Amino acid sequence: MSPTTMSHTILLTGATGMVGQALVPLLARRNDVSGIFALTHETGYQGPPEKIIPVRGDVTAGPELGILQAASREMLDRVTIIVHAAADTRFSAPLDAARAVNLEGTKNVLEFASHCPRLKAIVALSTVHVAGKRTGPIREGDLQHDAGFVNSYEQSKYEAELLLREGMSELPISVLRLSTVLGDSTTGEVARIVAIHHALRLYYNSLAPMIPGTPDSPVDLIAADYAAAAVGHFATDGFQAGQTFHICGGEDVLTLGPLLALTREGFLRYRPSWRKRAIEMPAIVDLPTFELFARSVEEVGDNILRSSVAIIKHFVPQLAYPKTFDDAACAGSLPAAGFLKPEALDFYPSVVRWLVETGWGEHRSRAEGAAT
Amino acid sequence: MNIGISAIEYVLGADTLSVEELEARGLLDSPAVRLREFGFCCARLSRDSSYALATAAAKKLLETTGVDPAGVEAIFYAGATPGSHAVETSNPLSTFNYPVARLQYELELTRAAAFGVSQVGCLGMMASVALARDFLLSSKSARRALCVSADVLPAGCKREMIYNVISDGACAVLVEKECGQNRILAYRQITKGYYWDSIALKNEITVAYFPTARNIVRDTLAEAQLDAANISCILPHNVSWRSWEILLGLIQMGRDQLFAENIGKMAHVIAADNWINLRDAADAGRLHPGDKLLLFTFGFGANWACMVLEH
Repeated sequence: MSPTTMSHTILLTGATGMVGQALVPLLARRNDVSGIFALTHETGYQGPPEKIIPVRGDVTAGPELGILQAASREMLDRVTIIVHAAADTRFSAPLDAARAVNLEGTKNVLEFASHCPRLKAIVALSTVHVAGKRTGPIREGDLQHDAGFVNSYEQSKYEAELLLREGMSELPISVLRLSTVLGDSTTGEVARIVAIHHALRLYYNSLAPMIPGTPDSPVDLIAADYAAAAVGHFATDGFQAGQTFHICGGEDVLTLGPLLALTREGFLRYRPSWRKRAIEMPAIVDLPTFELFARSVEEVGDNILRSSVAIIKHFVPQLAYPKTFDDAACAGSLPAAGFLKPEALDFYPSVVRWLVETGWGEHRSRAEGAAT
Repeated sequence: MNIGISAIEYVLGADTLSVEELEARGLLDSPAVRLREFGFCCARLSRDSSYALATAAAKKLLETTGVDPAGVEAIFYAGATPGSHAVETSNPLSTFNYPVARLQYELELTRAAAFGVSQVGCLGMMASVALARDFLLSSKSARRALCVSADVLPAGCKREMIYNVISDGACAVLVEKECGQNRILAYRQITKGYYWDSIALKNEITVAYFPTARNIVRDTLAEAQLDAANISCILPHNVSWRSWEILLGLIQMGRDQLFAENIGKMAHVIAADNWINLRDAADAGRLHPGDKLLLFTFGFGANWACMVLEH
């Protein structure tokens, strides 16, 4: 059922996340959205004023989501769509901590949803990497496997998806699996610096020695604005209960070797003085070699080196399990609704440029000034 | 023209100290147990000067080979530290007193042009051998050159650098034209000046070491028209066994190709490792005529070098 013909009141968890930030203004612009409860545990969140109702809460704080009782009652009465984007996206988080947000948080949101009388849609954001250490083509309908996981994020989101699948018999749930969200397709702006951006910075600063995988390992990336548009679509006009969609590069996927070359090209183009450092591209190695290096650094490296390795060791091993994500259902729905997927080859350099010119976001205003 | 290595001699510091003894004397940064895990058992410390060790190694080479000192057309003297390149007295101008000239005189190398090779860290000896090759190639009449490296760390100086244990020692290598042994097939050197401050950029150097090493090994093999499988033996610089395990993964070579016997008992003898290992691998019967040998080393600066020989 598509909740298209009604005026929507949306509860958005994770409004300050990378996708949440792009999603809020996009939803607020829609004529069929009358209000957005933006749930966040961060204090002082404002968001765009129109239609936005900031709500202090926490998905880990039980089925009431830590919301004050009066506000909770109003939300329960009004909410028609829940977009559950809140997550602990740290790859290095202990499994218990990741489960507390990603699994228990999802459980709490479903419990909350079950008390919303006008609810028509729950859209839960997940990750294509619930496929863990599986290799080869991954379909949108796939879930259960015993291949194992690279990190606690993948595992806890996988467990959350099992819960969501179970809940599909009772509630109108759709799961949206996102691949790695890089930045805005036009400006390259990155709303939130996450592991992949940190990894690029390590390369820039000569602190990334090696990456596991092969030059042909697929690296699936999507633009933040495309991710937000897709989530907005599948939460409203394109909602399909009981379905899982891959919001990913799909067939438009870069591979590791060319991606490193493209990165180097960007560093040289947007910071010509970087050339004189003559920093080598990280070597692409097998997983045991990478793990031996990471273990050695943990044993003897100083704090800077240890932190550098800690940033990448919880997610780059995923490249040693090459896989592609089939997005047939998503690709069948989005273009028909007028959404075109930006090509990674086009937006990746824009993001590299933004990262270099803003010092990985530390001098945002400088880049904004340059843009105007 | 065939240019190769016809003879090698070396001397090490006379005092052998276990890593535990080094730790007890405060000469290590890491725990001894960790350095043992990394393959180091002991270090060789010298009470003699680097010049004394250099002289001993060079004399030994001339004696064992019977080479007429007057038949040596060049001498290259390598040392990683400034202390290895000065015969200092109380007069500040004594920094112009060069050990290579003194050695040329004392060994009666009367026809040898003298050169000091410095500021390339532990690459000094490999760079010297490469320069000796170029010298011989550029001179019609010259037939042989002597390369000597010597380093002795000051008393009380730490014996650990970037998780490697350092020994004192000297080595002498004879490079000759029309030499049937250890023919030089290819040599490459990379210098990355960005890493010149080896203390401030210690982490960056550790990181840059591996991909750059992989690249120079690949390119040197290509220059020699060989691939990794053609290499019978890797003659390493004696950095940690752990470091070599990682590098072997990068260069797609096996543990059985690495001559690692000296890492534990000698530790890292600055610039001399590859040549000491060449000598010892040959003495141990590990090498056979026609074997292709790969020598790789790294020196602060930062410098990477790789040479391929045919035994």
